[in-house]
This record gives sequence, C-alpha cells and structure tokens, in this order.
Amino acid sequence: MIKTISRLRYKYWPDHIFGEILQKSWMETAVPLAVLIFTIVFFSVQIDNFISPSNMSDNFRQASELGFVVLGISLVLIVGGIDLSVASIFALSNLLVLYCMHVWQLPLGASVSITLLGGALLGSVNGILIGYFRMRAFLTTMVTLIVFKSIHDLINVRVAVPISSNFPDSPVWDIMGYGSILSIPTAVWAFGIVALFSHILLTRLRPGWWLLAVGGNRRSAYNIGLPVNRIVALSYVASGVLASASAIFYAARLASPGADTGSGLEITVLTAAILGGIRLGGGKGSVMKAILGTLIILLLTNGLLRMATPAGTARIILAMILLMAAALDIRWFKNRHKAVQEMYVSPAYLELPHLPEDTTAPNAAFAPNDRLKAVETIGLGMIEAPEDVVLDDYDNLYSGNRHGEIIRFFAPDYQRHEVYARIGGQPLGMTFDADHNLYVCVGGMGLYRVTADREVELVTDETNRSYLSVIDDSRLKLADDLDILPDGRILFSEATVRYEMHEWQTDALEGRGNGRIIMYDPKNKKTTTVLRGLTFPNGVVLASDKQSIMFAESWKCSIKRYWFDGPKAGTVEMVIDNLPGYPDNINVASDGNYWLAIMGMRSQVFDLAMRKPGFRRRMAKQLPGDEWLAPNINTGCIVKFNEAGEILDVLWDMDGENHPMITSMREHKGYLYIGGISNNRIGRLKLDGVDETFVSSGKYHVG
Amino acid sequence: MKPSFQVENIMLDSLISWIGSRGNTRGKSLSIPVFDGAFKPNNLLEEAKTLVESTGFSDIISGANNRLLAACDNRVVEVSKTGELSELAVLDRAITSLAQLKDGRIAVGLGDSVLIGAGTANPVSIDSAGGQKLTAVTALAPALDGGLLICDGSKSYGCDDWAWDLMNNCKDGRVIAVDAVGGNARVVAAGLGYAFGAYESDETGVLVSESWKHQVCQIAGKNARAAIDRLPGYPCRFAAADDGGFWLTLFCSRTQLVEFVLKENDYRAEMMATIDPRFWISPSFGSGADFLEPLQGGGVKQMGVLKPWAPPRSYGLLVRFDAKMTPQYSMHSRVGGHNHGICAAAQIGDTIYALSKGSGRIVEMSIRATRKTLFGEDAA
Repeated sequence: MIKTISRLRYKYWPDHIFGEILQKSWMETAVPLAVLIFTIVFFSVQIDNFISPSNMSDNFRQASELGFVVLGISLVLIVGGIDLSVASIFALSNLLVLYCMHVWQLPLGASVSITLLGGALLGSVNGILIGYFRMRAFLTTMVTLIVFKSIHDLINVRVAVPISSNFPDSPVWDIMGYGSILSIPTAVWAFGIVALFSHILLTRLRPGWWLLAVGGNRRSAYNIGLPVNRIVALSYVASGVLASASAIFYAARLASPGADTGSGLEITVLTAAILGGIRLGGGKGSVMKAILGTLIILLLTNGLLRMATPAGTARIILAMILLMAAALDIRWFKNRHKAVQEMYVSPAYLELPHLPEDTTAPNAAFAPNDRLKAVETIGLGMIEAPEDVVLDDYDNLYSGNRHGEIIRFFAPDYQRHEVYARIGGQPLGMTFDADHNLYVCVGGMGLYRVTADREVELVTDETNRSYLSVIDDSRLKLADDLDILPDGRILFSEATVRYEMHEWQTDALEGRGNGRIIMYDPKNKKTTTVLRGLTFPNGVVLASDKQSIMFAESWKCSIKRYWFDGPKAGTVEMVIDNLPGYPDNINVASDGNYWLAIMGMRSQVFDLAMRKPGFRRRMAKQLPGDEWLAPNINTGCIVKFNEAGEILDVLWDMDGENHPMITSMREHKGYLYIGGISNNRIGRLKLDGVDETFVSSGKYHVG
Repeated sequence: MKPSFQVENIMLDSLISWIGSRGNTRGKSLSIPVFDGAFKPNNLLEEAKTLVESTGFSDIISGANNRLLAACDNRVVEVSKTGELSELAVLDRAITSLAQLKDGRIAVGLGDSVLIGAGTANPVSIDSAGGQKLTAVTALAPALDGGLLICDGSKSYGCDDWAWDLMNNCKDGRVIAVDAVGGNARVVAAGLGYAFGAYESDETGVLVSESWKHQVCQIAGKNARAAIDRLPGYPCRFAAADDGGFWLTLFCSRTQLVEFVLKENDYRAEMMATIDPRFWISPSFGSGADFLEPLQGGGVKQMGVLKPWAPPRSYGLLVRFDAKMTPQYSMHSRVGGHNHGICAAAQIGDTIYALSKGSGRIVEMSIRATRKTLFGEDAA
C-alpha cells in the first residue's frame, strides 16, 4: 500500500520541476517576494481594510513616487556605485517644478521638461565627478547631498511664499496629482511605463547589458571595450532624472515647498533597493526587485503608521526587518547554487523487470566466456574516449576522442593516425553518408558534419521547444547516436535534456525519461522532436524494413523499435525488455541481425535503488559523486540479437582487461571494431564465417 | 567584528543542521576518517610475498617456539618457513578462531563453541557463558593469567553471517574470560558492536575490537571505554609485537556509502530480504569476483585504469601500534589489489605474517625492510 503510494507519488509528482524552477535567474527575486507576501498577510490580519481599494490606490500612488527614485538608485547600484544625493535632487526638483507651474505659470510640458533637465544636470554633476574624475561614489554623493540640500534651503526661503500664494490653472497638473485613468492613479501609469521600459532596457537592450557588465566587473568591461566612464556617468544622470520625475508627481499631489522635503529619502530608497535584493556590490539587480523593495518599504511604513506604533518603535521594527531580509538575501545569494544542486537531481521511480538469477548461468544466453580476450588492440594510449568507431571505403578507421577531435587510423595496420577534424566537443555517434561526409553527434554541441574535404559544418543544434518544459529544451545537450534514413533524413537520439555530457552518471542516478529522438530533414533544414520522455535513448540504427529504427533505452535496459514511415508510422514497440545490462549503441551485422554494445551490467543493489527514489535523492545530496552507487560499468559485453528480440550471441570480457565499458561496435569486412567512452584503446576482433565484404556505413545520401 | 560574525554563522549553521537532521537530509555527518598520518596508504601488503594460499584459512597465530600456526577449514596446521602445512589437530567442524594458551595447549573456536586443548586426549568444551550460548566465536586470545579471552561477536548471527549483524545494527557482542581449565567463565564486556578480536598485555590491559563502532575498547573492571576510536576501517584481530605494542588488523576500510545505507532503514530492509549477502552494500573481505557486486562512481575504470583511491568494497590494512596505543605505521593493499580482508596477523622475529581472507593467502613481510621503506635508512 505504502509502496504503491510512493510509486505513484514519484511517478506523477514532478520533482524535477522544482530544481528547474530554482535554476531560473528570476528565482533571485524569491526572497523579496516572500517578504512582500508576508508583509501583506501580516498587516491584513492586523489591520481592517488594509487592502481596501482606497487604501490600495493611495499606497500605489505613493509607491510610484518612491519607485521612481528607487529605480534611479537601483541603476546606480547595478553599475556598482551609490547615489545619496537623490533626496536633495528630489527636493530641488520639487521647488523647480512648483516655481515653473505656480510662479512662472509655464505650460505643463515646459515645466516638466525643465525639471527633468534640471534633474539631469544635477545628476550629471555626480556623474562627471564619479565617472570621469574617478571620485569615490559614497563621498561624492554625500557632498552633493549636502551642497544641493543647502542650495535648496537657500532658495526655499525666497520662493516658498510666491509658490504658496499662486496656483496654476492646469487640469492636467491636477490629474497628475490626484487623478486616475481607468481608476488607476496617474502616477502609477507613469511609473509603470518607465518601469517597463527600464525592464526592457536592462534585460533586452545593449545599454542595459552594458550597465550590468560594468557593475559585474569593471575591468573586464573596460577590456572588452565598453566606455566604462560614460556608462557610470550616465547612470547618475538617469538617477537624477528619475528623482526629478518623482518630484514632479510629488509636487503635483502636495504642491508644498516644505523645508524638509525629501529629508531622509536617501535612506528609505537605499533600504528599499537592498530589501528588493539589489546588491551593493553591483552587477546584479532588476526592475522587479526595485518594485518589490519599494512596495515592502511602503507597506511596512504605512502599516506601522496605521497600527499607531510609536515612531521610534516603528523605526526599530523596520530596521530589524531590513537586517533580517538582508541576511536572508546574502544567505540565499550565497547558497542558491547549492540549493539548485541539491534540488536539481530528482530521481524517479524506475522498476526494471526482475532479472532471473540464472541469466549468466553456464547454459544461459548470457553465459560468461572470454571471447573478447582475443581482441587486437588499436591505438592503445593514442586515443582517449572513443565512444563510437566508423570505417570508410578504404578501411580507414575513424573515432572521436575527449579532446574534441576526430582521429583517423590508417588502414591496413592502424599504426599511423592523424587528427582528421577538430570539432571542439566530444564526438559520439558517427556515420558516413554515400558522399563520404561524416555525420557526427557531438556532446554539448549538436549534430555536425565533416565533409569529404574535412570541413566541419553545423547541421543542427536546436529543435522545437516543448511548451510544457521549464528548462529551455530547444538546444541539443547530449546528442549521442544517429543513422541516415533511405530518404536522406537523419534520425538521432538525445540522451538527456537535463544534464551535460560529463554528467551522464547523474542522469543514470535519476532514471527519468529525460531523452528524446529527433528528426532532421535536410530538405527544409527543419529539426523536430519525434519521440520524447525516453530514458537515455541511444544506439539509433535503421532496421531491415527501412521504415523503422531500433534504439536502446539505457537505464531501462530495453531495446525498442520506432516506425518513422509506412503503415505503422509513429508507433513504438518493445523488442527486448529485460537485458542484464545497460544497452548502448546498436549497429547492423552482416547477417541482417544487430550488434548491441552493453556498457555495463545491472546489479541487484542498483536495481533496488532504482525502485527507491528517496534513497537515491538522499544519496545524491549527502554523498560526493565518487561515492554514489553506480551501475556496474566495469564489465561490458557485446550481444547479437534479431528483430524478434532473441539473443543470438554474447561476447564477454569478464575481467574488463581491454574493454571494461563497451559503448559501441561496428562490423566491417569480417572484423568487429569496438569502442568505449572511458577507454584508451579500440578493439578489433576477427569474426569467423561472415561476409567479408560487408560495410555498415555510407549507404545513403543526405538531402 | 569578525568573531561575532562567526558566532552568528556557527549558530545559523548548527540551527540549519539541526533542522536537517530531523528529516535525515543533512547534519548527521557521513564523513569518515581519511587515511592520514600513520595510515598513509602504501602498497606494502599488496607487494608482500605470498607464503601459502588456501581458501580455507580462517586464523593465524604465532605459537610457542616461534612456530606459525594456522586454522585451515577443520584443521589446525603448522606453517613452515617455506609454506608447507603440517597437521596438528583435526576437528569435526570448520575452525573460526585459534589461540595458544600459556601452557601450550591450543584453543579453537568452532562457531558456537570453544575447545581448549584441541588435539589432546581430554579437551574442554565451552558453549555458553553468563547463562547464554555462544553464537559467533570470532576470536580467541591468551590471557595473562593463563586463561583465555573469548570474543563472541554477536548474539544473533553466526560467524559467517556477520554482514547480517552489521546491517541489522546489532550491538550485542561479548568478551568472555575463562581460566586455564576452561572454568569460571565470566562476561567481562557486553553490548559490543561486534567483538572481533581481543588482546591482553601488561602495557595495555585487555583490549577488544569493536568492528561496527570502528574502535578498540579497553576493558577495566566492568567498564569498556574506547581506547582507539575513529579508525578508518573495521578493526579485527590483534597480534603481539616483539618490542612493545601490537599489530591490529582491519578487515576492510570504511566507505561513506555503507554509513549511508546503515541510516536507510527501508532500503536496507529490502536489500536484506531480497538480495544475496554477497552482493549487498557492505564491507567485504574480498571483491571483484562477480559483476553483481555493487560499484561506486569512483570505481569506474577510466582509460583502462582502476584508481587506487576509489571507494573500496574490500581493502587490506595492517597497523602497528605502540604500547601507548598510538599508531606507528601501516601496510596497505589498496583498491584493485588482491591481499584484502586482513583478519589475522602474527609476528615471529623480524617477520610479520598476515592472513588475507579475501585472497586466502598468508603473506609475509620483513619488518626491518618495511620500516626502511617507510622511514628511510636510519629507522631500520
């Protein structure tokens, strides 16, 4: 009963999605969002009508005013600076716009323009000093804070009375102050538009990326040729403009030339930005964070005000919450990758059919023998990680290595070798077309072609993205074996979409249907996924009816057949469902049957672990990778089977002396060539009584 | 400023690990001692000369008059310097442990009983102590008073089923002392995590190996306290060393995976119920015989090489301790080697003999040569 529940839970509950979501960069906003939600819940429980329309509207109006300034300071923080002078710029801009409107009675457009220009000018003082004269941001802006504030105080004495005694006749001005459009306050509209633009700027436009780059690493930004000084200076100008924009809405709402306008604003906006998760170090930050921080601060202050908390207490509470949020944010920032690491591996329930005890008994199909002992060794120590091997018409032998090259061994004795092509990623499955082009699946890169002239060309590296996938699965992560179809299309497998090339053991531990089979059509150069949810698919080979392929599902220890054409098109059938090991590449044999490489053998303890996802999850979390229980890939074998799924022949290397892990084999003119991804040699075995003219590759044209 | 920050960190970390330990996700440390200091790995055991090989060996001792005695299947044999076996006594069952009393009589463990004076006309048999039957006589050792120390490894499982005892987290081993005529049996220590070796000397008092707790206990009166703890392997039998101190054999080294499995009750229960003990995730005397044995990630052969630092399924380890119970040096047979599962040792003059249960070999090493290899010319 409990077993069934556990099985169903692991089968249908999408564990892997949590890790994938956590990996998304927008998850950095998770902590401030949680704080915001907590704040809202807390105050709506404590205060009646905290979320009433009127209160909300009022809150949002204030939030938008504050938001402009926070946005500005955020831009400066992202670049790695700080702007304390925003409060004074705000105060001066307030006076300026009021003087324009009230005393000079200028039209609204002109007043706004003059004020924004004023803000830009004030900001540019900071910008020039810090960006071009390389002065310290903190000191400089503190000085300008004091200077601007003093100027404000001097002017305020003279203009306060004229401002208060005149009133502009501008309905638009009033609408800006207290009006609403579609019952949303005007200020909110304005802020929304600015925020949206800033978001696009930061995430999609080059200047925004420049900001992030300079903040992330100033030296690197300089080295790649960015105008660092100008970018820094402009961020202060932007901050000034946004502070004055905020002042315009403030002025329109209150029309007050108060002496203490904006006092303490710099602290409020700075805390809002930090609370939102924008880092003081620079290089990190987003508009969403700025907005979240603003909302938290505003709701907190208003909430505490409405709870009639004494001013001192309220400030202490605010300070404590800030401290906690900052500590949490640092923890989160520091440990997020660890959390991802722990969450990402999410083993699934995988029940393999019971393996009979006598599978390898002396009389059974898999009876141990030493037939691979007689193997001839090619390129010992000259090649590392030959996952697949292929031969051309002149019997030259080709194989990939882990340095990202394709090595050619020259017939007839294979003593000489050369680098045939440099690819950059590890070549896995390979096959020739009829025009002597070598098609290669490259781990981490996709499907490539080495032409007869040894030019390396990309064939495809992306497929259609599936709509329900959290991670972007359009890129090919681990294309691993292919075959060319008679009509010139290419079918290839991608072992997993969740792990990189070198992490395939983690995929084994996960045992989830992470892989797929993909069709490339050279006629319209389209790549489409034809089968998904496969458990480490591998070993694609064209079957004898020329309408289907055989493929292996490694961690499921099974061989399946997929029809891409003909009356059964689109169907998948099981061929062998209970292998004693983990199948890898499949290739045709000269007698019309199939060779199958078994990379390692099943062990009962691993089979049991596959039925215990919780066990594997805890193991992945608590033990280093070298200590994980692994499939036994120190013993491999080669199997010959037919389309009915019968085992016809088995070749063993029981001690794993030459071929502990066999990932591929290819029959060519009376010999069987053997490759292994963790090996440093290629094996060659003479086959008796076979067609000595048989060649397994290079039959069809692509296109 | 810094110390207070650290305090905050430690507090936070311990809080997190406390929360984690509630759900068996973290906190409970799976770390195991590394081979360090006196345990620094070498290949001396693997390179040691094989004296004789037979799958039946279960124990060796250095007998009176510098003779090397061994238990092989149901026979007590003397092993000559050239490796020939000559029979001293034959019993009706397989021998599980061997000792020679002060008076020269030979005592053998026969699984669930002990026979003192094997091969003589009137042997004494002991099959219970403290009102309880003996179950697994894993080791015997001569006591200073002329009597015998008997290690009864487990209450529930016989000698061959030690893996069951470990996987069931049993802690019910006993040490029993009897006098020279086999009478006056008394339990000197109980509740041990598998008693698998005892030793008594003037310098150290009574020592006993607690394999499952990775420690050696010193027994004083009614109490057993850990004298050597946090060993990197599973301690086994002792052997006296000529110039003070003793040799300790460790039949396997520890792995994090085994420690992890010991916490995973559900998995362990099903493993015990459905899988042959030979293929369990557990320490082992030998390995590599069958591909059904568990393999750990680090044990995957790369470029044709099995890394010697891969997590071991079996291991060979013999450690020399001085009289203060400080480890001096050790001999190893690492992953990929053959001389694994060292469960008994015997020193005769300059030669140290070790019994590798994994390979069935008795190997010999010159102590002088070993010290020279490890410490250079002067040390020899």
